[in-house]
Amino acid sequence: MALTVENNAKKQLLWIGMAAIVMFFAGLTSAYIVRKPEGNWVEFSLPNYFIASTAIIVISSLLLFFVKGRLKENSSIFGLVFSVLILGVLFSFFQFKGWEQLVNQGIYLTGEGSNASGSFLYVLTLAHLVHLFGGLIALIYVTVKSRIEMYTIDNCLGLELTSIYWHFLAILWILLFFLLKFF
Amino acid sequence: MSDHHKETFITKYIFAQDHKMIAKQFLITGMFMALVGMLMSAIFRVQLANPGEYSALYNLLPGGWINEEGALNPDKYLALVTMHGTILVFWVLTAGLSGTFANFLIPLQIGARDMASGFINMLSYWFFFMATVVLLSSIYVEGGPASGGWTIYPPLSALPQAIPGSGTGMTLWLLSITLFIVGSLLGSLNYIVTILNLRTKGMSMKRLPLTCWALFVTAILGVLSFPVLLSCGLLLLFDRSFGTSFYLSDIIMNGEALHFAGGSPILFEHLFWFLGHPEVYIILLPALGIVSEVIAVNSRKPIFGYKAMVGAILLIAFLSFIVWGHHMFMTGMNPFLGSVFTFTTLLIAIPSAVKVFNWLATLWRANIRFTPAMLFAIGTVSAFITGGLTGLILGDSALDINVHDTYFVVGHFHIVMGLSAIYGMFAGVYHWFPKMYGKMMNKTLGYIHFWTTFICAYGVFFPMHFLGLAGLPRRYYTNSSFPMFDGLSDINEIITFFALSGAIVQIIFIFNFVYSIFKGTKASTNPWKSNTLEWTTPIERIHGNWPGELPVVQRWAYDYSKPGMEEDYVPQTVPLKEGEEDH
Amino acid sequence: MINLLFALVALLTIAALVQLVRVNELLSEITNQDTNEVTDDDNHKNGILFLLIGGGFIAFVIWQMVAWDHFLLPSASSVHGAEIDALMKISMILILIMFFALTPLLFYFAYRYRGKEGRTAYFFAHNNKLEVAWTVIPTIVLTALIIYGLRTWDSVMNPDISDATVIEVYSKQFDWTARYSGLDNILGESDYKLVEGRNTLGVDVLDENSADDMVVKEVHLPVNKPVLLKFRSRDVIHSAFLPHFRVQMNCVPGLSTQFAFTPTKTTTQMKEEESDDFEYVLLCNKICGSAHFNMQMKFIVESEEDYNKWISSQKTLKNTLTLK
Repeated sequence: MALTVENNAKKQLLWIGMAAIVMFFAGLTSAYIVRKPEGNWVEFSLPNYFIASTAIIVISSLLLFFVKGRLKENSSIFGLVFSVLILGVLFSFFQFKGWEQLVNQGIYLTGEGSNASGSFLYVLTLAHLVHLFGGLIALIYVTVKSRIEMYTIDNCLGLELTSIYWHFLAILWILLFFLLKFF
Repeated sequence: MSDHHKETFITKYIFAQDHKMIAKQFLITGMFMALVGMLMSAIFRVQLANPGEYSALYNLLPGGWINEEGALNPDKYLALVTMHGTILVFWVLTAGLSGTFANFLIPLQIGARDMASGFINMLSYWFFFMATVVLLSSIYVEGGPASGGWTIYPPLSALPQAIPGSGTGMTLWLLSITLFIVGSLLGSLNYIVTILNLRTKGMSMKRLPLTCWALFVTAILGVLSFPVLLSCGLLLLFDRSFGTSFYLSDIIMNGEALHFAGGSPILFEHLFWFLGHPEVYIILLPALGIVSEVIAVNSRKPIFGYKAMVGAILLIAFLSFIVWGHHMFMTGMNPFLGSVFTFTTLLIAIPSAVKVFNWLATLWRANIRFTPAMLFAIGTVSAFITGGLTGLILGDSALDINVHDTYFVVGHFHIVMGLSAIYGMFAGVYHWFPKMYGKMMNKTLGYIHFWTTFICAYGVFFPMHFLGLAGLPRRYYTNSSFPMFDGLSDINEIITFFALSGAIVQIIFIFNFVYSIFKGTKASTNPWKSNTLEWTTPIERIHGNWPGELPVVQRWAYDYSKPGMEEDYVPQTVPLKEGEEDH
Repeated sequence: MINLLFALVALLTIAALVQLVRVNELLSEITNQDTNEVTDDDNHKNGILFLLIGGGFIAFVIWQMVAWDHFLLPSASSVHGAEIDALMKISMILILIMFFALTPLLFYFAYRYRGKEGRTAYFFAHNNKLEVAWTVIPTIVLTALIIYGLRTWDSVMNPDISDATVIEVYSKQFDWTARYSGLDNILGESDYKLVEGRNTLGVDVLDENSADDMVVKEVHLPVNKPVLLKFRSRDVIHSAFLPHFRVQMNCVPGLSTQFAFTPTKTTTQMKEEESDDFEYVLLCNKICGSAHFNMQMKFIVESEEDYNKWISSQKTLKNTLTLK
């Protein structure tokens, strides 16, 4: 990847943007951490779907590591990138299923019978998913471009930015998952 | 970098990607909103001087805001106070100040063609524009705009039954602030990345003008603090619109016990003020950066203690993250926590004092040229001294017990923000107007504007300290309900007199600004004989800033009246002479 | 009609300003000078103005301090209040010294170093000794102030409440109600869901501690006896502000907050010292809705004898609320 000032700048723009997103989640998770010990907190087990979605997003992230290698060999990366996109969609699907499972357990966002513990879970996972949709849009764009073989090892800024962001979403999800599961 | 594209009217003026044009978009929008916010304050000051009486100014308000006798409705008084605060803190002093000067100055002062991403920059203005439209529209909805103070504490801001403005008006406020924050973040991204990557050859961080340092650190503050307001607002949105209990618990409204349980309004306060405090430094630091520049150039002397000034900016920024609790001393928080916040708050006085002493040392044995910008810069220093000192009272938790939420606080924050920061903004406009518009502003009108504003502004806000020490709370529709405040009406009348006068004299500035854009005398390239890079660009502003090669920097920005040099200024591009000492 | 007048005034002002600028421009053409070039004369005029108007500002501040001194709250009517007042005095003296030292200095420098053609400024970029001095000295002074302040805070926030009479202060849009805990000095439990009819405070009548509680609309306190105020709110955040006692505490729905103090001056004493119509009053000090400006409750401090007389005449909840 060409080490131009322009590319560096674009990557830094993304990094700082991600720092802002981290602060957004820091606000939400601080609220969660402060609220929990105050009592009136319904305990429940995390839906299994979330364990599945965690695995899915980790795999999708790992797949992205192979992209650079294939680009160097001049092989097509369409298959890889498209797989990541599919996994991303699958992740979203499993998040929805997770929420469905929660509702079946009687854990609601709001209304009669709801509790802060449930509300926080919904808000945190929803916020993450919304940011993930941004990542999906980027992935769609990158998938199309890789289909028509627009990327080379020297010219793949969009691919790099999307990868960085996607890894970020995966790490963010892992952290949220551990917070919700073990704290 | 990006090569020059053909500019149409739309790409040049509307969806502009040139940083100089975007800066002007922010400036004009900021000035417009300043007028709106100022008008609101004129209206509620009239109510405070003549409580319950009719005033012609109320004709400006939407129908239904005044009752049959022509008096302002109490809840609409709170709406005005809320919108005034919101507009001035966010729209004018954040977007109008940072948005204008960061966009205009950063590429020019570091020797870059434009910002790292013109596209993101363009988006940052248009998100700001949309936020403005949404906020102004909230004035006209049923129930009126948000009315819970600009600090919008729940439950008041969460429940329409608590005050009408907490209905649609508050929802629009939240939408508007979301758009605003996104716009602000997009801007900050650019400012940080541009300063880090696009400095021209020779422009090390140690040679960066103080204005750039201030704008850089401010942008970092914004990236780290604004998102927390977003999360804070998101949880409030859920409470208001979806019935969750993040902030709400044990509430009876209109005789009905509401379902909320387990939430805490104090959680809101923590999240809000985690942004809220850095926010006031986001407002202040750019103004102080501008003032350092204006004072140095017009004193014909280097800014005293450049390194200490940078250090002070960094220390203030760092400390600003750990003082937020001083807004919450009276919430019943653990007293130990209160002690911690008192300690950190009073610490911030140290770098602030250092800055004041450095400015004084810069003025000492100077050869001062009193441009209108310089007058305002000195005004900023005066206001920063006055307002900063009362901060020592408010930051002390035990003393805060009797002055919290009284007019003492109102006096304090208006003097540090309403005077210091606004004067800094005026100084910036007067100083860089020649560069922005290629014309000179009229100096006589500038002088009249400064002296009348200076007198009126202190006339408005200094008396407030006495109202506060007399126990008068803020956000009160009138002081006439309590016999203990009866004597204070005279002070209120004096304040209103100065407020209305101060508002009127701003016409001089607006006139000067608009007239000079069209009919001002043509400016030379470097009318102030300044060292910084922006003054090496041609007066006809061009896309890409320099017609040929980018300038190369050879020295720091403050070689004014340097012994052994011919002129009393040495631009940053001038190479060091044989045997000359570099700073 | 008035609007027409305003518009006319605005238009005329603008017209006047245009003429002013035109005159300025013509003058410069005649004298062959750039209108907007700052001259020695400009510098001199503005320098003088800094002395005059700056001096005027200082005079204005002093005038306010003298003329409006009598508006300030009288000295505190509580034990901890006296400590706060002492801290306030020292802090005020400190900041006033700084204000009266720095502000005239600033204006004086503006005048003294006003620009003159041909003069050169003194190239003075830094001075380590000076910078260290004015960093270290404020740090020492502020540290002393912080320590003093924190000790006062600790004393105020952690008083001895073993003997204190417990009184609940209940806030709602837009009034205050107080509930005395009675002889057992324990407030009966309460829950917002129990608010109904005459039970405006949601007291749990089944709790045996609530039987001797008394709900009143005017608070009486025996002088020199500690009292612990406990705060609740029905709807939004309010703030109980008793300025004469130096007491303030937010009333937050869903939370319970408190503040303990000992009143030291009776209302009668204050009537003699201040004015005949003096009353201690409780105000709301946190924006809470339309009538935020008019939430008040009277507080009366009296001799123990008068207080005992008053409290024995109050009805307990046993008598006012029927048991279901």
